[in-house]
Amino acid sequence: MSFSRRQFSYGLCALTALVFARTAFGEGAPASQAKNFVQPGYQPADSDERGLWGVMDRAEHEIKSSRFLVREGEINDFIRGIVCRLAGQHCPDVRSYVLRTPYFNANMAPNGMMQVWTGLLLRCRDEAQLAAILGHETGHYLRRHTLERWRDVRTKSNFSAFLGLGLAAAGVGYIGPIADLALVASLFAFSREQEEEADEIGLNLMADAGYTPTASPEVWDQLLAEFKGSTAERDKSVLFATHPLPEKRLATLKQRAAARGGDSGERGKDAFRAKLATIRPMLVADELALRQYGRSEIVFDQLLADAPDDGLLWYAKGEIYRFRAGDDDANRALSAYARALQSEGAPAEIHRSIMLMELRVGARERAQEAYYAYARLRPDATDLEMLRALLP
Amino acid sequence: MTTWNMTIRILVLLLAAMLAGCAPYSLVKPDRQTLGGALSVEPGMEWNRVQLADIEGKIEMWTLDGPALNRLIFFEGVGDGEPLFKPRSGSGGSAKKDEKLAVFRDTMNPFEVQELVHATIARNFQTTIVECRNLKPVQFGDGSGFRFDTKFTARDEVDRRGVFVATVRGSRLYGVWFFGAGSHYFDRYLPEFKRLVDSAQIVGTAAAAK
Repeated sequence: MSFSRRQFSYGLCALTALVFARTAFGEGAPASQAKNFVQPGYQPADSDERGLWGVMDRAEHEIKSSRFLVREGEINDFIRGIVCRLAGQHCPDVRSYVLRTPYFNANMAPNGMMQVWTGLLLRCRDEAQLAAILGHETGHYLRRHTLERWRDVRTKSNFSAFLGLGLAAAGVGYIGPIADLALVASLFAFSREQEEEADEIGLNLMADAGYTPTASPEVWDQLLAEFKGSTAERDKSVLFATHPLPEKRLATLKQRAAARGGDSGERGKDAFRAKLATIRPMLVADELALRQYGRSEIVFDQLLADAPDDGLLWYAKGEIYRFRAGDDDANRALSAYARALQSEGAPAEIHRSIMLMELRVGARERAQEAYYAYARLRPDATDLEMLRALLP
Repeated sequence: MTTWNMTIRILVLLLAAMLAGCAPYSLVKPDRQTLGGALSVEPGMEWNRVQLADIEGKIEMWTLDGPALNRLIFFEGVGDGEPLFKPRSGSGGSAKKDEKLAVFRDTMNPFEVQELVHATIARNFQTTIVECRNLKPVQFGDGSGFRFDTKFTARDEVDRRGVFVATVRGSRLYGVWFFGAGSHYFDRYLPEFKRLVDSAQIVGTAAAAK
């Protein structure tokens, strides 16, 4: 489920293949591209495509009752609004689902089911960045890349054997996925050409919808920085030797963004932050639970560059250092917590974290103060008795 | 998730448990057992010792109804810098070998061990739906220890509830974690689990360590 090398180098992996209208693409779009799009209300044309839709319909049925589905109304309405703004006439054909999975990903199935993972929401700095990714996915869908890819695979192997192999590789065993759509998605990794095409379509869609074109290369830049920065924890040679960084692709995207208006257009920063507010503590906690310190630090730093007084983000940085417990991490953690308390948005649990950190450095009185602050704010917390026992 | 959905999923797991007949099980008799030369317990009923394909570590695993339905995991002295357990290499689990796992530190207090268990569940069972709560001091292995409740939903969408009981002795973590699917495969065996925990002793060289 983590971001694979293939996903990284080819970009967002997506199950795509459906509908999109010329009207949604706008006047700036090359007519040669738009005429290859599927039409609004598109239905599968042949048995190949019907089979593919059938698999996706079943997966969608499972997703609707999934415990991992984020049902919070405001964020769902918000994403739906962006999709409709990008997709225009095709809006009724696309159904979006927010899934609580802490990795950078979104994908769109050929039947119009779109998944948006919470790890993507955490990493986007504004509405325009999210629109860039959703536009890219829409690009795959408009051009029915999944079908193209699927036919390519079928000429080489029997599909059911192919699917079976994928399921085995994903470790479906004692506790395995029943409807792990990401797994199915991974079976349809797109070609480099398809990714580049989706980049171009996505950029045009977002520019036509009035979003800042630069947000598109920007979000990829951020992801690239995250992966580069994480190599201390990863095997650099394995990650990058076989899959060169898509810098050429990024350069192309930057040129195209500049040609489509560069920094002009709408960012939607405040709206994005407001819509995400209720689920952000959960997104941060899910990222921290991965214990990918290097990567997470870069993610939070990137977000803090835009919101230097975000108490939740400073708290998150403190947590990284507390968990990592390396040289000088105690000081780093305590400074980050202090900064969080000077800002808005730190959760009450920060006092518990401060207590644990102060205990580690032997500052008894400060640990006690932090304990009482936590107990005051969370009088019903189930861990108070144990925490009190830890105090000297 | 509806009750009906959950029932179907549990039936699927039950079927999987039946089909897993070829897994390397061995019978554990209700007599005193010593695990890893460090932890001794006396079960009150027959259990199955199982070699699992998906995770590995300084652990031993028992089950009553099959590992998909309930598991009892013994931690036989996890040392400083070691993960509680990790996906067995080649099992296709979530953790890539180039991703670091959260590890136990001998300076950890009970709360930090609880956080470690949370992160270990999240990574090993590929889930964001994890809750660890009700951390309390308890007696374990003839000394002071701690316990907390666990609850998580793995990718198979089944809720699993559990209890984790442990102690840190001589820089190593000794403990036992029982979890099961739904109330039937968890609540039903809680008295047996409590009995087992009460019977636990730290033995061998570990017993002398403070």
